Amino acid sequence: MRAVLQNLKRYLLCGVSYVIPFVACGGILIAFSIALVPMTATGPDFSHAPTLKLLLEIGSAAFALVVPVLAGYIAFGMADRPGLVPGFVGGFVANAVGAGFLGGIIAGLLAGGAVLLLKRLPVSRMLRPIMPILVIPVCSSVAVGLLMYGLLGAPIRELMVLMAHALRTLGTGNQVILGLVLGAMIAFDMGGPVNKTAFFFGVAMIKEGNVAVMGACAAAICIPPLGLGLATLLAPGRWSTQERESGLAALAMGAIGITEGAIPFAAARPLRVIPTIMGGSALGAALAMLGGVGDHAPHGGLIVLPVVDHRLWYVLSILAGTLVVAIVSNFARTPEAP
Amino acid sequence: MKILAITACPTGIAHTYMAAESLERAGARLGHQVKVETQGAMGIENRITAQDLEGADAVILACDIPVQGRERFDGIPNILEVPVQLAIKNPAELFARLQ
Repeated sequence: MRAVLQNLKRYLLCGVSYVIPFVACGGILIAFSIALVPMTATGPDFSHAPTLKLLLEIGSAAFALVVPVLAGYIAFGMADRPGLVPGFVGGFVANAVGAGFLGGIIAGLLAGGAVLLLKRLPVSRMLRPIMPILVIPVCSSVAVGLLMYGLLGAPIRELMVLMAHALRTLGTGNQVILGLVLGAMIAFDMGGPVNKTAFFFGVAMIKEGNVAVMGACAAAICIPPLGLGLATLLAPGRWSTQERESGLAALAMGAIGITEGAIPFAAARPLRVIPTIMGGSALGAALAMLGGVGDHAPHGGLIVLPVVDHRLWYVLSILAGTLVVAIVSNFARTPEAP
Repeated sequence: MKILAITACPTGIAHTYMAAESLERAGARLGHQVKVETQGAMGIENRITAQDLEGADAVILACDIPVQGRERFDGIPNILEVPVQLAIKNPAELFARLQ
């Protein structure tokens, strides 16, 4: 069991090491372009900046590759070259069904497992040459694709409907509890279905005239990358060079409200990092609720400050959540070099 | 001599393995101890380990694409780099060149 877990960590790290530059490239381009256009009540306004709009789209292209590359190289770590095809395909499907980076991890592990099984098939010498270029890619991709669409796709859609319904019933009666729940949801899968449900709930509430919900989301959105980025600055000795570089990129992404900046950290050590950032974001969102923070734009991070009500509380909530994430992650880290 | 080799071709399904077989066969005939790692479409097979590296006299890289893990051979002075075809057609000549 221990050996399996050890290996699992190695596979995840293999995927993460390839995905980090994609996250940084996409995140920085998106952050840069959003930072340079005016923030309005309908989100960043690109109508007078066609070049920045292009940069945004190039960044989005890099971001769209994050989950497939993560899945592809997790499978590569497990099963070597034949893992790449089902891994990339599975990761692409994870994107298509909105399963986020956690879906990508599942796709990568499924793909690697499928290829390892197929590699064990006894085949005659005649057939051996077509195994790696025909049989293995086709069979493993079909298997992973079917599992992703069938086992993950439909349940995720139902889960999102269910969660959205639950959020509505929870209502705005107890704001602190709603804040805690929203914050934890935003941080849980960073762009995945749970995050999206909370985010869209906030956006829907803006249209209904309640900007407090989005205010809580906006604070929660930037806390994971800011917190982890800050952690690498506070105790550089506890983080690898690669992580320190992702930390800098994460800080930039956090400021602009791109939660995905925390993905390299979370994908490497999901069980440790995800609870920490959920706690930090929950705290930030609850504080934002308490302080009556409102956000008029369907976007988060420090960048929305111009369209936020009760700005001091907004900044304080973010600061509190960020500090909690930074301090807890530094304490939770054994100083072993990964 | 103890000789290590890596074979790798772009498709990685035929020549990689043909070259490996031909090197192994010729090596055995000439009385060398040969281990060949293949870097084909299946990934790395018959991997050269730290134990293999110990006391190795020479390395043959019969590759048409960049080799993975080349740094393993740092410190072995006798490294011969050739196209995959040569290892298939005339392996004995490669061993002669190492002498």
